[in-house]
Amino acid sequence: MRIKILRQMSPVTEPYWQEFEGDFAKDQSVAGMLDELNYKDDLFDVNGDPAPRIQWECSCLQGMCGACAMVINGRPALACEVFLRDIKGDTVVIEPLKKFATISDLVVDRGIIHQNLKKANVYIGEYEGADPKEYDHMYAAGKCLKCGLCLEVCPNYSDGSSFYGAAFANDCFLIASRSKSRKKAITKSYQKNFEQGCSKALSCVDVCPMKIPTLASIAKMNRR
Amino acid sequence: MKHVLVIGSGIAGLSCAINCAQKGMQVTMVSPFPSERAQSVLAAGGINAVTASCEVGDSVDSHIDDTLKGGCDIAGKEAVRGLCESAPDIIDWLKKNGTVFTTDADGNVSKRAFGGQSYRRSCFCGASTGKQIVTALVMEARGFEGTGRIKRRLWADFYSALIKDGECFGAVLYNEATRKPEAITADCVVIATGGQNALFGKTTGSTQCDGYVAGKLLTQGVELKNLEFIQYHPTTIETAQKRMLISEAVRGEGGRLYIEENGRRVYFMEDKYGERGNLMPRDIVSRCIEETGKQVYLDITFLGKEKILQKLPEVYELCKKYRGIDITKESIPVTPSVHFFMGGIAVKNNHETNIKNLYAIGECASIYHGANRLGGNSLLAAIYGGKVAANSIEQAESNDTPNDWSKELKEAEEKLRSLKGSKSPYPVKYIRDMLAETMQEDLGIVRDADKLQKGIDDVSFYLSVADKIRFDSSEMAYFGYSLKDILTLAKATLLCALSRKESRGAHYRSDCPAASDAYKAATIIRYDNGEFTTYLDTEDKYEN
Repeated sequence: MRIKILRQMSPVTEPYWQEFEGDFAKDQSVAGMLDELNYKDDLFDVNGDPAPRIQWECSCLQGMCGACAMVINGRPALACEVFLRDIKGDTVVIEPLKKFATISDLVVDRGIIHQNLKKANVYIGEYEGADPKEYDHMYAAGKCLKCGLCLEVCPNYSDGSSFYGAAFANDCFLIASRSKSRKKAITKSYQKNFEQGCSKALSCVDVCPMKIPTLASIAKMNRR
Repeated sequence: MKHVLVIGSGIAGLSCAINCAQKGMQVTMVSPFPSERAQSVLAAGGINAVTASCEVGDSVDSHIDDTLKGGCDIAGKEAVRGLCESAPDIIDWLKKNGTVFTTDADGNVSKRAFGGQSYRRSCFCGASTGKQIVTALVMEARGFEGTGRIKRRLWADFYSALIKDGECFGAVLYNEATRKPEAITADCVVIATGGQNALFGKTTGSTQCDGYVAGKLLTQGVELKNLEFIQYHPTTIETAQKRMLISEAVRGEGGRLYIEENGRRVYFMEDKYGERGNLMPRDIVSRCIEETGKQVYLDITFLGKEKILQKLPEVYELCKKYRGIDITKESIPVTPSVHFFMGGIAVKNNHETNIKNLYAIGECASIYHGANRLGGNSLLAAIYGGKVAANSIEQAESNDTPNDWSKELKEAEEKLRSLKGSKSPYPVKYIRDMLAETMQEDLGIVRDADKLQKGIDDVSFYLSVADKIRFDSSEMAYFGYSLKDILTLAKATLLCALSRKESRGAHYRSDCPAASDAYKAATIIRYDNGEFTTYLDTEDKYEN
């Protein structure tokens, strides 16, 4: 298997491509492959030159924390959920998410997701209980990983300065469906920072690793 | 205004930060990555509480008894009483913060059975209880972040505590962006850094939890406790990248463990312990599985596809995705794996360590679980510990002693410089892999003095080369500087296991297979100038 990685040593240095080769089990994920590549032995690229270890974020290695979001063969995904058995051909091309600033290699700064939620004060405040019919939807929205994949694929999201994207819309739904004190303010913020900018391409729904029904969140928030 | 430095931003750290902020304190919460990456999101099963809608016959006293019994009578009675009595209020608090609990037709929080419990009392959120709690607490903390009451510091790692004359004044952090250590002073420091997974390589938990902070604090005079009690979860599934947890909820819903003999199924837990055999405490189930010497399977197919998808969707997805197993049609091959650390930083009932103004909460602290933890008690302890620490910090005297920490900072800088300049052939990862192999081999489910001594000798060797590792500048500096104290913690853990010459809870010695009243107390370990000393806390210095 050939692995082609877009590398970058620091936020201020130029990115470059580097290629590696290795044999991996077909059931291995891209995350497991990166781990093996990094630590089986000292790292050399295809030309036999020593290479610095590949920087990438990981924590749970089972699709529950969102750390390892990256672009694999042109498709944004969690590296621990993409298996080599599903890769077409014998090359994996890996790049960092492009809508966020690169810190090093595949590690990007996704702090803007949290910053925007903080800026818009997305918290419950006074709780007023929830409609039991909304349970499944709230449970699904509560699983958002803040991984950034929905923002990466969104044609409307650029740098998060005005349009905040799907992760924001889902958290707004979680607040508006249960908050007594913050409902109005959140709805207003949603209209300004999401509704006005969303063209309903819904690529966010397809890419979401937790299968969050963002369309339902949008529909409910738009009706408010 | 009091300033509290919280190290770690999982459920325990969030609980403490929110409680401190609610009391008007200023909080700085430090973690290299955001809360969504914390191990807490992996907690699947539930959180124990005897609420108004409990099963007939259940009571807080029963919750206390089960917890103490599960812990094999070495957890502090008063600490456990506080934990269990607070549980119903904690469920209400979580609901108000937006935790999406699964509810029954009457709107009451649903409960499931967990091992070692006399009644169904584990409140849950589908199969992602930890994740739903993290989501709710992140939202709640966000409200305080908006007002500046809670400040998050990301891309920063703990380096050491600022301790002078038995008192803590803050911490040295390593800033991964500037690549320099920095001192942050505070009235109190709260450690909430999770368990010690890295000692065993890849466990069911997060790769981020490594025990460094506990190891470092040990070298700074903080006492650790009960390190030998390590919970092996009986049901994990092997995948190409790690061992993944098959939640106890599967057995809670009726899942049956069996082996195959001569073409027929032997339900060995039910044969040995009767109808509820599959839900015996985790240490017993793990040991029984190990004793079979065979591949053990967990069957839930009889529940039917509809119920499995409704009650255990995450388990269904996990098995399908990572192993191609359809649990509605096939049994799950399971094996025990390191899952939880009952031991950690020794704390008193108010969660303060033996160092004034230094607290520890969550899995890194050792207090409620004794020799073995019951499923559903860890989330409860994480949230309760945060609350108790915040209450105690509120009462503590303000620490206004001005201190000059330039000497400590300079020392840290020099140490890091010499590490970076090392020309050794030993890369950190190789030593960590060797450590994991040693610990899995010598500190497994069944232990004996020879194996433990061999483990101590091996780890002593790794320690002897730890100062001369090959520092890899392409990795986070933390990975390099954390090695030595992770090894120190590993050695302390083996020494605790060697010193407990009996079997109790999760600590099983084949050379001393019975429990002994002489050891009916917590093990404490301290470190001074390279010397480790263990003793039994027979006078209940920490808990009562």
